[in-house]
Amino acid sequence: MYYETAWGRGLGWLFGGFETALTVHVYVGIFMLGAFLVHLVYLLITIRWRRFPSCIVGPDSLVPGINDLKSVVQHTGWILGLGKHPPLERWSYWEKFDYWAVFWGMIILGGTGLLLAFPLASSQYIPGWVLNIAFWIHRIESLLAMAHIFIIHFFIAHLRRTSFPMDLAIFEGSVPLSTVEHERPEWINRLRHSGQIYYCLVADAPPVRRALFYVIGYLAVLTGFYLLVGALINSTRITW
Amino acid sequence: MWTKKIWPVLIGLALLLPGPVTAQEEVASRYYHYRSTEMATGLYEEYEVRPRNQAAFFQAGERQGLGLSRVEDQQNRAWNRMFLSDAHRDLPFYERRRCVDCHPDNANNRHTVRHGVTCRQCHGEEPIASINHYFARLNPIRQHTHVCSKCHEGAGASFALYRVHEPNPALLSTARIMPLLFYAFWIMVALAAGTFALFLPHTVLWGIRELFMKKGGGSGES
Repeated sequence: MYYETAWGRGLGWLFGGFETALTVHVYVGIFMLGAFLVHLVYLLITIRWRRFPSCIVGPDSLVPGINDLKSVVQHTGWILGLGKHPPLERWSYWEKFDYWAVFWGMIILGGTGLLLAFPLASSQYIPGWVLNIAFWIHRIESLLAMAHIFIIHFFIAHLRRTSFPMDLAIFEGSVPLSTVEHERPEWINRLRHSGQIYYCLVADAPPVRRALFYVIGYLAVLTGFYLLVGALINSTRITW
Repeated sequence: MWTKKIWPVLIGLALLLPGPVTAQEEVASRYYHYRSTEMATGLYEEYEVRPRNQAAFFQAGERQGLGLSRVEDQQNRAWNRMFLSDAHRDLPFYERRRCVDCHPDNANNRHTVRHGVTCRQCHGEEPIASINHYFARLNPIRQHTHVCSKCHEGAGASFALYRVHEPNPALLSTARIMPLLFYAFWIMVALAAGTFALFLPHTVLWGIRELFMKKGGGSGES
């Protein structure tokens, strides 16, 4: 996209030039779609089909419900200093939003990306001008996704006072019990009541691995800011 | 009983074998159909299929040419630049001009910008024929075989419907030419703008709120 600017060509050079970067892009996209398919299979296996409709609305599920609307209102009130913080369960509404944003993002980006990656095959099933449309959907959706991750997600997971310097849950797969007791009291109460909490406790990651997590996390943040700032600066120099 | 065992075989054959037909298409082989070739390329064996009458002309879009206007429709067509074998016939100082001097918007396409494809690699050498001229290489009846497949090997007629000179999706005039592009573009922009309109203030205010939180208090307490 930024091929016309020196900045964009520099980024492409990392991958061995524009054409090679495009090839890498296609293969990485297919890999990501593969991961998404694995996730779908995981979902199908995890859902307890015997109690189907009721088992996907519980507190452990990412399906949004009425309680999330309530906590949106309450949380906004708390932000504005109008009321108390909502008692959060396992998944907060912003986490559910992020999950479904990525879910539909994968479908939109993956679908249009496959059409664009194999135009000869896809034009046998759709008229060629659909590729023009697919291109713009792919472009805007990717800009939305990246800007959302680099600005909003990174802010919530790194720069917020309670999660500063970094929320390690993404790498460790676990969160410190003290933090959860503060942030998700309802979840901990539920686990304590049912006694499940003793099966959920795990040890912290060793310090070396934790240091590695910080390095990877901050590399991602720095890359994100670099891309964001560069994209904004160069946005007037490219053919849209 | 063998009579019972024969039924699955019969059903399988009925599913696998081609259905009964009353008339068949002219084919050269199982994979080579004259009709599809003729429709795709305008060629039938070695001979070009000529236009029978005006209706056979394949017009690209509804755009009117820049030619002289005549009252008589036939005459108008003969003089219309969109139908000439030399689209730039009789233009003054033509040799001194570059394509983009008169077609400034047309270099703004991803073929040119990203891959360095020049105008003449698709539109041909001088004299450049109008795309509506029957024997032009860019006439939609043959552009996929004569132009697109120079790089995109195996390009079909549907593939050639890709708009290289894509209209600006943001403009209202695009709603008339490619309505789906226009609406898809603005729906995606609205989605992006809506997300940020909600989450940017939310995130900023949230950050400020946590700064002024009581010390040691998690968000569950303050």
